[in-house]
Amino acid sequence: MHFKVRPAAKEDCKEISRMIMELAVFEKMTDQVKITHEGFTVVGYALYFYIYSTWKGRSVFLEDLYVMEEFRGKGIGKGLMNKVAEVGKKKQCVRLQLSVLDWNTPSRDFYAAKGAQDLTASEGWHLLRFDGRDLDNLANEAPED
Amino acid sequence: MDYSIRAANVEDCKDIARMIVELSEYEKVSEHVKVTQRDLEQDGFSKNPFFHGIVAEVPEQHKTKDGHTKIGYALYFYSYSSWSGRAVYMEDLYVMPEFRGKGIGKALMSKVAQLGLAAGCNQLNFTVLDWNKQSLDFYFSQGSVDVTTSMGYHVMRCEGEALEHLAQP
Repeated sequence: MHFKVRPAAKEDCKEISRMIMELAVFEKMTDQVKITHEGFTVVGYALYFYIYSTWKGRSVFLEDLYVMEEFRGKGIGKGLMNKVAEVGKKKQCVRLQLSVLDWNTPSRDFYAAKGAQDLTASEGWHLLRFDGRDLDNLANEAPED
Repeated sequence: MDYSIRAANVEDCKDIARMIVELSEYEKVSEHVKVTQRDLEQDGFSKNPFFHGIVAEVPEQHKTKDGHTKIGYALYFYSYSSWSGRAVYMEDLYVMPEFRGKGIGKALMSKVAQLGLAAGCNQLNFTVLDWNKQSLDFYFSQGSVDVTTSMGYHVMRCEGEALEHLAQP
């Protein structure tokens, strides 16, 4: 199947918003989606941003990778991921990081096949979070400037 | 103990580079720190910085035996959750051993949270090693949740040859 991968433009937000919700359905987390949103040729997307490792330097974080179900198995997900890696490389990024749910075997296999290491399994890294009232409480205790 | 917390500036990169190495030794992970003082200067203080920093300082009379007054730091950057929006990621939080137990780590982390909220963030995220019980207890006592344990998120990484291969057009 012929497809192309290109940078997202502002006009794509409606389609991206739709696919974010589709991805959340796949990840069984629709109650977590707080950003609102709602026919198409846009069939997949990747959302990424730059991060920093104080040990290795510039890195890129792949926040979302999604291809609509009927378009899977055609190399589109790989194409999207290749593009993110390429964009990162142009900015001298030395790492690409992402997170995956432990039960999501097809995705874990997909990423493992691309050479991704599971740092939670191999090194014991856990992701921790403050949000909601806990985040407010923490911020309220900050010292005066 | 008297201390102050302020935004890092480019002159702090020497001390931040020093403390990054100290933190990597504490974390005992077989990583070699490649980032230099110059990398920090370029990556943190240019037009589109990859990170922001805050530094904890003590007055001259409390300086370390090596003469350091900059005795802790936090390094953070803005990230994004496609589900809940703007987030802040705390990459490093460190206080030199002789200054621990005085509330400085908590003050640094609170400051990151405050800055994050001011920027419209809904989450503060960070990672901790599972054997680091002291840090885990500290973070849980402050109200954080372990999203790896509760939701099953695993941290994955591509680097080196695998990343080179992925970046082929």
